[in-house]
Amino acid sequence: MGRLLRILIHSSGLFTFAAVELLCLFLIVNHNDTQRQIWAETKSVYGSSLAEFISDKLAFIDVGRENEILRRENAALLARIPGSGYDTSVDTLLVRDSVMQQRFTYLASRVVNKSPYGPYNTLVIDRGSNLGVERGQGVVADGGLLGIVSEVTPRHARVISILHLDTRISAGLDNNAFGTLRWNGRDPRRVTITDMPDYVPVAPNDTIYTTGYSNVYPTGLPIGTVESTEPLPGTGSQDLTVLLLNDPLTAGNGYVVRDLFKDELDQLNQVK
Amino acid sequence: MTSAALVNSVLRFFGLLLAQIFVFNQVAWGWEGRDYLFIFIYPLFVAMLPLRSPRPVVILLGFLLGLSIDFFSETLGLHAGALAFTAYCRPLVLRMLQPRDGYNIKATPTINDMGSGWMFRYLGLMLLAHLLGFFLLQTFSVFFITDILIKTLLSLPASLVATGVLVLIFNPKA
Repeated sequence: MGRLLRILIHSSGLFTFAAVELLCLFLIVNHNDTQRQIWAETKSVYGSSLAEFISDKLAFIDVGRENEILRRENAALLARIPGSGYDTSVDTLLVRDSVMQQRFTYLASRVVNKSPYGPYNTLVIDRGSNLGVERGQGVVADGGLLGIVSEVTPRHARVISILHLDTRISAGLDNNAFGTLRWNGRDPRRVTITDMPDYVPVAPNDTIYTTGYSNVYPTGLPIGTVESTEPLPGTGSQDLTVLLLNDPLTAGNGYVVRDLFKDELDQLNQVK
Repeated sequence: MTSAALVNSVLRFFGLLLAQIFVFNQVAWGWEGRDYLFIFIYPLFVAMLPLRSPRPVVILLGFLLGLSIDFFSETLGLHAGALAFTAYCRPLVLRMLQPRDGYNIKATPTINDMGSGWMFRYLGLMLLAHLLGFFLLQTFSVFFITDILIKTLLSLPASLVATGVLVLIFNPKA
Protein backbone atom coordinates (compact mmCIF):
# COMPACT_ATOMS: atom_id res chain seq x y z
CA MET A 1 0.00 0.00 0.00
CA GLY A 2 2.76 2.40 0.94
CA ARG A 3 4.55 1.49 -2.26
CA LEU A 4 1.44 2.16 -4.31
CA LEU A 5 1.06 5.53 -2.61
CA ARG A 6 4.69 6.36 -3.37
CA ILE A 7 4.16 5.53 -7.05
CA LEU A 8 1.07 7.73 -7.09
CA ILE A 9 2.91 10.67 -5.53
CA HIS A 10 6.02 10.16 -7.63
CA SER A 11 4.14 10.32 -10.93
CA SER A 12 1.42 12.71 -9.85
CA GLY A 13 2.36 14.91 -12.82
CA LEU A 14 1.59 12.13 -15.26
CA PHE A 15 -1.76 11.36 -13.66
CA THR A 16 -2.77 15.03 -13.54
CA PHE A 17 -1.74 15.39 -17.16
CA ALA A 18 -3.70 12.31 -18.24
CA ALA A 19 -6.83 13.42 -16.40
CA VAL A 20 -6.67 16.98 -17.72
CA GLU A 21 -5.98 15.83 -21.26
CA LEU A 22 -8.90 13.37 -21.25
CA LEU A 23 -11.16 16.17 -20.03
CA CYS A 24 -9.87 18.38 -22.85
CA LEU A 25 -10.47 15.71 -25.49
CA PHE A 26 -14.00 15.31 -24.17
CA LEU A 27 -14.56 19.08 -24.38
CA ILE A 28 -13.04 19.30 -27.86
CA VAL A 29 -15.16 16.48 -29.25
CA ASN A 30 -18.30 17.92 -27.71
CA HIS A 31 -17.91 21.58 -28.59
CA ASN A 32 -16.01 21.79 -31.90
CA ASP A 33 -17.66 20.75 -35.16
CA THR A 34 -14.63 19.64 -37.21
CA GLN A 35 -13.21 17.53 -34.43
CA ARG A 36 -16.58 16.00 -33.67
CA GLN A 37 -16.98 14.91 -37.30
CA ILE A 38 -13.51 13.37 -37.37
CA TRP A 39 -14.24 11.54 -34.13
CA ALA A 40 -17.61 10.24 -35.35
CA GLU A 41 -16.06 9.06 -38.61
CA THR A 42 -13.19 7.31 -36.84
CA LYS A 43 -15.59 5.67 -34.43
CA SER A 44 -17.86 4.40 -37.20
CA VAL A 45 -14.94 3.09 -39.31
CA TYR A 46 -13.16 1.21 -36.52
CA GLY A 47 -16.15 0.61 -34.27
CA SER A 48 -18.22 -1.33 -36.77
CA SER A 49 -15.40 -3.63 -37.82
CA LEU A 50 -14.62 -4.27 -34.16
CA ALA A 51 -18.28 -5.01 -33.42
CA GLU A 52 -18.39 -7.32 -36.42
CA PHE A 53 -15.26 -9.13 -35.26
CA ILE A 54 -16.73 -9.66 -31.81
CA SER A 55 -20.11 -10.85 -33.07
CA ASP A 56 -18.33 -13.25 -35.43
CA LYS A 57 -16.27 -14.71 -32.60
CA LEU A 58 -19.33 -15.15 -30.40
CA ALA A 59 -21.54 -16.85 -33.00
CA PHE A 60 -21.45 -20.64 -32.97
CA ILE A 61 -19.83 -21.78 -36.17
CA ASP A 62 -22.59 -24.06 -37.40
CA VAL A 63 -25.47 -21.85 -36.32
CA GLY A 64 -23.93 -18.91 -38.15
CA ARG A 65 -23.66 -20.92 -41.37
CA GLU A 66 -27.21 -22.25 -41.12
CA ASN A 67 -28.45 -18.74 -40.46
CA GLU A 68 -26.59 -17.40 -43.49
CA ILE A 69 -28.28 -20.00 -45.70
CA LEU A 70 -31.70 -19.15 -44.28
CA ARG A 71 -31.20 -15.45 -44.75
CA ARG A 72 -30.19 -15.92 -48.39
CA GLU A 73 -33.26 -18.01 -48.91
CA ASN A 74 -35.39 -15.33 -47.29
CA ALA A 75 -33.91 -12.73 -49.59
CA ALA A 76 -34.68 -14.88 -52.61
CA LEU A 77 -38.25 -15.47 -51.43
CA LEU A 78 -38.85 -11.79 -50.69
CA ALA A 79 -37.76 -10.98 -54.23
CA ARG A 80 -40.55 -13.20 -55.52
CA ILE A 81 -43.51 -11.66 -53.75
CA PRO A 82 -45.78 -9.72 -56.15
CA GLY A 83 -44.72 -6.31 -54.85
CA SER A 84 -41.19 -6.73 -56.12
CA GLY A 85 -42.20 -7.59 -59.65
CA TYR A 86 -42.91 -5.30 -62.56
CA ASP A 87 -45.59 -6.36 -64.98
CA THR A 88 -44.16 -6.27 -68.50
CA SER A 89 -47.25 -7.50 -70.28
CA VAL A 90 -48.99 -4.86 -72.37
CA ASP A 91 -52.44 -6.35 -72.26
CA THR A 92 -53.76 -6.73 -68.75
CA LEU A 93 -56.01 -9.59 -69.75
CA LEU A 94 -53.35 -11.83 -71.19
CA VAL A 95 -50.22 -13.62 -69.98
CA ARG A 96 -49.97 -11.54 -66.85
CA ASP A 97 -49.07 -14.45 -64.62
CA SER A 98 -46.01 -15.59 -66.52
CA VAL A 99 -44.21 -12.44 -67.62
CA MET A 100 -42.76 -10.64 -64.64
CA GLN A 101 -39.58 -8.64 -64.82
CA GLN A 102 -37.64 -8.26 -61.62
CA ARG A 103 -37.89 -4.76 -60.18
CA PHE A 104 -36.83 -5.00 -56.53
CA THR A 105 -34.07 -7.19 -55.18
CA TYR A 106 -33.31 -7.83 -51.53
CA LEU A 107 -29.87 -8.12 -50.01
CA ALA A 108 -29.59 -9.83 -46.64
CA SER A 109 -27.49 -7.99 -44.10
CA ARG A 110 -26.73 -8.14 -40.44
CA VAL A 111 -26.96 -5.25 -38.01
CA VAL A 112 -23.49 -4.82 -36.52
CA ASN A 113 -23.86 -1.55 -34.64
CA LYS A 114 -26.70 0.46 -33.15
CA SER A 115 -26.81 3.88 -31.63
CA PRO A 116 -28.07 3.99 -28.06
CA TYR A 117 -31.82 4.58 -27.99
CA GLY A 118 -32.63 8.25 -28.41
CA PRO A 119 -34.48 10.64 -30.69
CA TYR A 120 -32.01 10.09 -33.55
CA ASN A 121 -31.58 6.34 -33.92
CA THR A 122 -29.17 5.00 -36.51
CA LEU A 123 -27.62 1.62 -37.11
CA VAL A 124 -24.83 0.10 -39.16
CA ILE A 125 -25.24 -2.96 -41.38
CA ASP A 126 -22.46 -5.13 -42.74
CA ARG A 127 -23.14 -4.61 -46.43
CA GLY A 128 -21.77 -1.69 -48.42
CA SER A 129 -21.01 -0.30 -51.84
CA ASN A 130 -19.08 -3.46 -52.75
CA LEU A 131 -22.45 -5.22 -52.98
CA GLY A 132 -24.34 -2.35 -54.57
CA VAL A 133 -25.77 -0.66 -51.48
CA GLU A 134 -26.39 3.02 -52.20
CA ARG A 135 -27.58 6.10 -50.39
CA GLY A 136 -31.35 6.28 -50.25
CA GLN A 137 -32.14 2.58 -50.46
CA GLY A 138 -34.67 1.23 -48.02
CA VAL A 139 -34.09 -1.49 -45.45
CA VAL A 140 -36.87 -3.84 -44.32
CA ALA A 141 -36.88 -6.35 -41.47
CA ASP A 142 -39.16 -8.80 -39.72
CA GLY A 143 -42.19 -7.97 -41.84
CA GLY A 144 -41.89 -4.23 -41.35
CA LEU A 145 -39.65 -1.31 -42.16
CA LEU A 146 -36.24 -0.71 -40.60
CA GLY A 147 -34.87 2.46 -42.18
CA ILE A 148 -33.14 4.18 -45.07
CA VAL A 149 -29.44 3.96 -46.00
CA SER A 150 -27.68 7.27 -45.42
CA GLU A 151 -23.92 6.68 -45.61
CA VAL A 152 -22.08 3.94 -47.48
CA THR A 153 -18.55 2.63 -47.11
CA PRO A 154 -17.17 -0.31 -49.15
CA ARG A 155 -18.18 -2.90 -46.53
CA HIS A 156 -20.70 -1.17 -44.29
CA ALA A 157 -23.60 1.19 -44.53
CA ARG A 158 -25.22 3.46 -42.02
CA VAL A 159 -29.00 3.29 -41.83
CA ILE A 160 -31.25 6.01 -40.50
CA SER A 161 -33.87 4.08 -38.54
CA ILE A 162 -37.54 4.86 -39.04
CA LEU A 163 -37.31 5.76 -35.36
CA HIS A 164 -35.41 8.96 -36.25
CA LEU A 165 -36.89 12.44 -36.02
CA ASP A 166 -35.81 13.26 -39.58
CA THR A 167 -37.32 10.19 -41.23
CA ARG A 168 -40.05 10.86 -43.82
CA ILE A 169 -41.62 7.92 -45.63
CA SER A 170 -44.60 7.91 -47.96
CA ALA A 171 -47.24 5.59 -46.51
CA GLY A 172 -50.91 5.04 -47.14
CA LEU A 173 -54.02 2.89 -46.89
CA ASP A 174 -55.07 0.31 -49.42
CA ASN A 175 -57.67 2.75 -50.83
CA ASN A 176 -54.74 4.80 -52.19
CA ALA A 177 -55.04 7.67 -49.71
CA PHE A 178 -51.55 8.47 -48.52
CA GLY A 179 -49.60 10.67 -46.15
CA THR A 180 -46.18 11.07 -44.64
CA LEU A 181 -44.91 8.69 -42.00
CA ARG A 182 -42.74 10.21 -39.31
CA TRP A 183 -41.77 9.52 -35.71
CA ASN A 184 -42.35 11.94 -32.87
CA GLY A 185 -39.50 10.61 -30.74
CA ARG A 186 -41.60 9.37 -27.85
CA ASP A 187 -42.74 5.78 -28.22
CA PRO A 188 -40.62 3.29 -30.20
CA ARG A 189 -43.67 1.14 -30.94
CA ARG A 190 -45.79 3.88 -32.53
CA VAL A 191 -45.28 6.21 -35.48
CA THR A 192 -47.46 8.99 -36.85
CA ILE A 193 -48.84 9.58 -40.32
CA THR A 194 -49.42 13.23 -41.13
CA ASP A 195 -50.84 15.06 -44.16
CA MET A 196 -53.58 12.46 -44.62
CA PRO A 197 -56.74 14.22 -45.96
CA ASP A 198 -59.46 14.31 -43.32
CA TYR A 199 -62.29 13.20 -45.63
CA VAL A 200 -60.66 9.78 -46.04
CA PRO A 201 -62.51 7.32 -43.82
CA VAL A 202 -60.06 5.55 -41.53
CA ALA A 203 -61.06 2.92 -39.02
CA PRO A 204 -58.95 1.55 -36.18
CA ASN A 205 -56.98 -1.57 -37.17
CA ASP A 206 -56.79 -0.54 -40.83
CA THR A 207 -53.44 -1.65 -42.25
CA ILE A 208 -50.91 0.94 -43.40
CA TYR A 209 -48.81 0.07 -46.42
CA THR A 210 -45.87 1.66 -48.18
CA THR A 211 -46.94 3.52 -51.31
CA GLY A 212 -43.74 3.11 -53.29
CA TYR A 213 -44.02 6.70 -54.53
CA SER A 214 -40.52 7.59 -53.35
CA ASN A 215 -38.79 4.57 -54.96
CA VAL A 216 -37.36 3.59 -51.60
CA TYR A 217 -39.67 0.73 -50.74
CA PRO A 218 -41.81 -1.47 -52.99
CA THR A 219 -45.52 -0.79 -53.13
CA GLY A 220 -47.71 -2.53 -50.61
CA LEU A 221 -45.34 -3.58 -47.86
CA PRO A 222 -47.32 -3.60 -44.60
CA ILE A 223 -45.99 -1.18 -41.98
CA GLY A 224 -48.49 -1.30 -39.16
CA THR A 225 -52.09 -0.89 -38.07
CA VAL A 226 -53.98 2.28 -37.27
CA GLU A 227 -54.51 2.74 -33.57
CA SER A 228 -56.31 6.07 -33.46
CA THR A 229 -57.07 9.05 -35.69
CA GLU A 230 -57.02 12.70 -34.80
CA PRO A 231 -58.42 15.29 -37.22
CA LEU A 232 -56.53 18.58 -37.22
CA PRO A 233 -59.13 21.38 -37.39
CA GLY A 234 -58.54 23.99 -40.09
CA THR A 235 -55.87 22.09 -42.01
CA GLY A 236 -58.04 19.59 -43.83
CA SER A 237 -55.82 16.76 -42.71
CA GLN A 238 -55.73 14.21 -39.95
CA ASP A 239 -53.00 12.51 -37.96
CA LEU A 240 -52.99 8.72 -37.63
CA THR A 241 -51.23 6.95 -34.82
CA VAL A 242 -49.86 3.70 -36.19
CA LEU A 243 -48.80 0.64 -34.23
CA LEU A 244 -45.73 -0.85 -35.92
CA LEU A 245 -45.77 -4.50 -36.95
CA ASN A 246 -42.12 -5.00 -36.09
CA ASP A 247 -39.78 -3.69 -33.42
CA PRO A 248 -37.00 -1.75 -35.17
CA LEU A 249 -35.03 -1.40 -31.94
CA THR A 250 -34.38 -5.12 -31.58
CA ALA A 251 -33.89 -6.01 -35.25
CA GLY A 252 -30.82 -8.15 -35.86
CA ASN A 253 -31.20 -8.63 -39.60
CA GLY A 254 -32.19 -6.26 -42.36
CA TYR A 255 -32.87 -6.64 -46.05
CA VAL A 256 -31.65 -3.82 -48.25
CA VAL A 257 -34.19 -3.06 -50.96
CA ARG A 258 -32.66 -2.24 -54.31
CA ASP A 259 -34.86 -0.67 -56.98
CA LEU A 260 -33.49 -1.73 -60.34
CA PHE A 261 -35.56 0.97 -62.08
CA LYS A 262 -34.45 3.80 -59.84
CA ASP A 263 -32.25 5.51 -62.44
CA GLU A 264 -35.04 5.41 -64.98
CA LEU A 265 -37.58 6.83 -62.55
CA ASP A 266 -35.14 9.53 -61.40
CA GLN A 267 -34.79 10.71 -65.00
CA LEU A 268 -38.53 11.34 -65.08
CA ASN A 269 -38.36 13.44 -61.95
CA GLN A 270 -35.61 15.67 -63.31
CA VAL A 271 -37.91 17.22 -65.91
CA LYS A 272 -39.74 20.08 -64.27
CA MET B 1 7.27 30.47 -4.13
CA THR B 2 8.14 33.98 -2.98
CA SER B 3 5.44 36.60 -2.76
CA ALA B 4 6.97 38.55 -5.67
CA ALA B 5 6.79 35.46 -7.87
CA LEU B 6 3.19 34.88 -6.77
CA VAL B 7 2.12 38.43 -7.60
CA ASN B 8 3.98 38.39 -10.91
CA SER B 9 2.40 35.07 -11.90
CA VAL B 10 -1.10 36.32 -11.13
CA LEU B 11 -0.44 39.50 -13.14
CA ARG B 12 1.01 37.48 -16.00
CA PHE B 13 -2.02 35.17 -15.97
CA PHE B 14 -4.49 37.98 -16.57
CA GLY B 15 -2.18 40.15 -18.67
CA LEU B 16 -1.36 37.36 -21.10
CA LEU B 17 -5.01 36.25 -21.17
CA LEU B 18 -6.19 39.73 -22.19
CA ALA B 19 -3.32 40.31 -24.63
CA GLN B 20 -3.89 36.94 -26.30
CA ILE B 21 -7.64 37.40 -26.64
CA PHE B 22 -7.79 41.01 -27.72
CA VAL B 23 -4.56 41.44 -29.67
CA PHE B 24 -2.87 38.25 -30.79
CA ASN B 25 -5.99 36.21 -31.54
CA GLN B 26 -6.83 38.80 -34.20
CA VAL B 27 -3.54 38.09 -35.97
CA ALA B 28 -3.73 35.17 -38.38
CA TRP B 29 -2.25 34.81 -41.82
CA GLY B 30 -2.68 32.16 -44.45
CA TRP B 31 -3.70 31.45 -48.00
CA GLU B 32 -6.59 29.82 -49.85
CA GLY B 33 -8.95 30.76 -47.06
CA ARG B 34 -7.11 28.85 -44.37
CA ASP B 35 -4.93 30.27 -41.62
CA TYR B 36 -1.41 28.97 -41.22
CA LEU B 37 0.32 31.56 -39.05
CA PHE B 38 -0.81 32.11 -35.48
CA ILE B 39 0.87 34.03 -32.67
CA PHE B 40 0.65 32.48 -29.21
CA ILE B 41 2.15 34.36 -26.27
CA TYR B 42 0.30 32.74 -23.37
CA PRO B 43 2.70 29.74 -23.05
CA LEU B 44 4.97 32.40 -21.49
CA PHE B 45 2.87 32.05 -18.32
CA VAL B 46 3.67 28.37 -17.92
CA ALA B 47 7.29 28.92 -18.94
CA MET B 48 7.92 31.60 -16.32
CA LEU B 49 6.41 29.87 -13.29
CA PRO B 50 9.11 29.35 -10.61
CA LEU B 51 11.38 26.35 -11.35
CA ARG B 52 10.42 24.49 -8.20
CA SER B 53 6.64 24.64 -8.68
CA PRO B 54 5.08 21.18 -8.24
CA ARG B 55 4.32 19.53 -11.57
CA PRO B 56 0.56 18.90 -11.00
CA VAL B 57 0.11 22.56 -10.03
CA VAL B 58 1.83 23.73 -13.21
CA ILE B 59 -0.37 21.43 -15.30
CA LEU B 60 -3.57 22.56 -13.59
CA LEU B 61 -2.63 26.25 -13.94
CA GLY B 62 -1.85 25.73 -17.61
CA PHE B 63 -5.20 23.98 -18.08
CA LEU B 64 -6.96 26.88 -16.34
CA LEU B 65 -5.33 29.57 -18.50
CA GLY B 66 -5.96 27.57 -21.68
CA LEU B 67 -9.60 27.07 -20.72
CA SER B 68 -10.02 30.80 -20.08
CA ILE B 69 -8.66 31.56 -23.55
CA ASP B 70 -10.90 28.87 -25.02
CA PHE B 71 -13.97 30.50 -23.54
CA PHE B 72 -13.25 33.67 -25.49
CA SER B 73 -12.15 32.09 -28.76
CA GLU B 74 -14.96 29.49 -29.02
CA THR B 75 -12.58 26.54 -29.23
CA LEU B 76 -13.46 24.82 -25.97
CA GLY B 77 -10.67 22.40 -24.97
CA LEU B 78 -8.12 23.22 -27.69
CA HIS B 79 -5.93 25.77 -25.93
CA ALA B 80 -6.49 24.03 -22.60
CA GLY B 81 -5.32 20.66 -23.88
CA ALA B 82 -2.30 22.15 -25.65
CA LEU B 83 -1.19 24.23 -22.67
CA ALA B 84 -1.59 21.28 -20.29
CA PHE B 85 0.64 19.33 -22.66
CA THR B 86 3.20 22.16 -22.64
CA ALA B 87 3.12 22.23 -18.85
CA TYR B 88 3.67 18.48 -18.79
CA CYS B 89 6.69 18.88 -21.13
CA ARG B 90 8.24 21.69 -19.06
CA PRO B 91 10.38 19.47 -16.78
CA LEU B 92 11.69 17.60 -19.84
CA VAL B 93 12.68 20.86 -21.53
CA LEU B 94 14.29 22.08 -18.33
CA ARG B 95 16.28 18.85 -18.03
CA MET B 96 17.41 19.22 -21.65
CA LEU B 97 18.73 22.73 -21.01
CA GLN B 98 20.15 22.03 -17.55
CA PRO B 99 23.46 23.85 -16.89
CA ARG B 100 26.44 21.61 -16.08
CA ASP B 101 26.14 22.05 -12.32
CA GLY B 102 22.34 21.98 -12.14
CA TYR B 103 19.92 24.73 -11.37
CA ASN B 104 20.56 27.10 -8.49
CA ILE B 105 17.97 26.52 -5.77
CA LYS B 106 16.77 30.10 -5.93
CA ALA B 107 16.94 30.39 -9.73
CA THR B 108 13.90 31.58 -11.67
CA PRO B 109 13.50 31.16 -15.45
CA THR B 110 14.38 34.77 -16.29
CA ILE B 111 17.07 36.54 -18.32
CA ASN B 112 18.59 37.90 -15.10
CA ASP B 113 19.20 34.48 -13.61
CA MET B 114 19.82 32.28 -16.64
CA GLY B 115 21.04 34.63 -19.41
CA SER B 116 19.33 35.63 -22.63
CA GLY B 117 20.75 32.75 -24.73
CA TRP B 118 19.34 30.14 -22.34
CA MET B 119 16.04 32.02 -22.12
CA PHE B 120 15.48 32.02 -25.88
CA ARG B 121 16.41 28.37 -26.30
CA TYR B 122 14.00 27.59 -23.44
CA LEU B 123 11.17 29.66 -24.92
CA GLY B 124 11.80 28.15 -28.36
CA LEU B 125 11.49 24.57 -27.08
CA MET B 126 8.42 25.37 -24.98
CA LEU B 127 6.71 27.07 -27.92
CA LEU B 128 7.64 24.18 -30.20
CA ALA B 129 5.98 21.71 -27.81
CA HIS B 130 2.95 23.96 -27.46
CA LEU B 131 2.47 24.58 -31.17
CA LEU B 132 2.85 20.90 -32.08
CA GLY B 133 0.35 19.96 -29.39
CA PHE B 134 -2.07 22.70 -30.36
CA PHE B 135 -2.09 22.00 -34.09
CA LEU B 136 -2.38 18.28 -33.49
CA LEU B 137 -5.51 18.94 -31.43
CA GLN B 138 -6.76 21.48 -33.97
CA THR B 139 -6.49 19.18 -37.00
CA PHE B 140 -7.34 16.20 -34.74
CA SER B 141 -5.66 13.65 -36.98
CA VAL B 142 -2.10 12.64 -37.83
CA PHE B 143 -3.23 12.40 -41.46
CA PHE B 144 -2.74 16.18 -41.63
CA ILE B 145 0.91 15.94 -40.58
CA THR B 146 2.04 18.31 -43.38
CA ASP B 147 -0.51 20.89 -42.25
CA ILE B 148 0.68 20.56 -38.67
CA LEU B 149 4.33 21.01 -39.69
CA ILE B 150 3.66 23.99 -41.99
CA LYS B 151 1.62 25.73 -39.30
CA THR B 152 4.27 25.04 -36.67
CA LEU B 153 7.11 26.23 -38.93
CA LEU B 154 5.29 29.49 -39.67
CA SER B 155 3.94 30.15 -36.19
CA LEU B 156 7.08 29.28 -34.20
CA PRO B 157 9.26 32.24 -35.33
CA ALA B 158 6.38 34.70 -35.04
CA SER B 159 5.42 33.52 -31.54
CA LEU B 160 9.07 33.41 -30.47
CA VAL B 161 9.63 37.00 -31.60
CA ALA B 162 6.47 38.18 -29.83
CA THR B 163 7.28 36.42 -26.54
CA GLY B 164 10.95 37.46 -26.75
CA VAL B 165 10.00 41.11 -27.21
CA LEU B 166 7.61 40.88 -24.25
CA VAL B 167 10.30 39.32 -22.05
CA LEU B 168 12.85 41.97 -23.09
CA ILE B 169 10.43 44.85 -22.50
CA PHE B 170 9.18 43.77 -19.08
CA ASN B 171 12.33 41.91 -18.03
CA PRO B 172 10.74 40.46 -14.87
CA LYS B 173 12.93 39.54 -11.89
CA ALA B 174 10.73 36.62 -10.80
